[in-house]
Amino acid sequence: MTVRFRVGDTVKVSDLGKAGHIRTPFYVRGKVGEVIQFCGFFLNPENLAVGNTAGPVIPLYRVSFRQKDLWPHYEGSPGDKVLIEIYDHWLTAAPGITSGKCEAERSS
Amino acid sequence: MTRGYHDIGGDQAGSVPQQELPWLHWEKQVEAVRNLLGDATRRIISLDELRRGFESFGVEKYKKLSFYRRRLEAMIDILIEKEVVAREELEAEIARVRARWRTARGGLP
Repeated sequence: MTVRFRVGDTVKVSDLGKAGHIRTPFYVRGKVGEVIQFCGFFLNPENLAVGNTAGPVIPLYRVSFRQKDLWPHYEGSPGDKVLIEIYDHWLTAAPGITSGKCEAERSS
Repeated sequence: MTRGYHDIGGDQAGSVPQQELPWLHWEKQVEAVRNLLGDATRRIISLDELRRGFESFGVEKYKKLSFYRRRLEAMIDILIEKEVVAREELEAEIARVRARWRTARGGLP
């Protein structure tokens, strides 16, 4: 599997509607963040959760989200971030969308 | 959106208790067994498999159990599911060890 995203890319977290064990928390689904690190290739935890250790390995990225994009009433510093590791298949490219625009879209 | 009952990040939770909790001996044993089951030699239960276990308890059972009880119960479920041990086998062993303890403690309940 290829590494689709590079550091600095803007990505949107999908809602895959998957049941079972997943590692993508509810509060980042549908949110836009920035890839800040490629963490490597790992077995998919959704497969490991049901005892499937055969692979393949998939890319994992560290993604940065603005706190104010995640929580509607966030009162901390506008620069505050949440960093989360997210597996490749949960991410789609969101070029040109900044977290700021995303905020505007939601409030409209 | 699908949201598991364990996936509570961002929910209101009130104040955070500041007191240090003791790490009980049996809790350390639970973690030790979990490490052995998941290590590179055995690979019997992965951490994700364990998580899937307690994320399938149903919300009532999940909320009733402590952190280490959840892990313990999930390990038991998965060991039985994978036929590493049988429920009867486990229950017989618990009864045997309990009896041994009673004897060692001089017949106390």
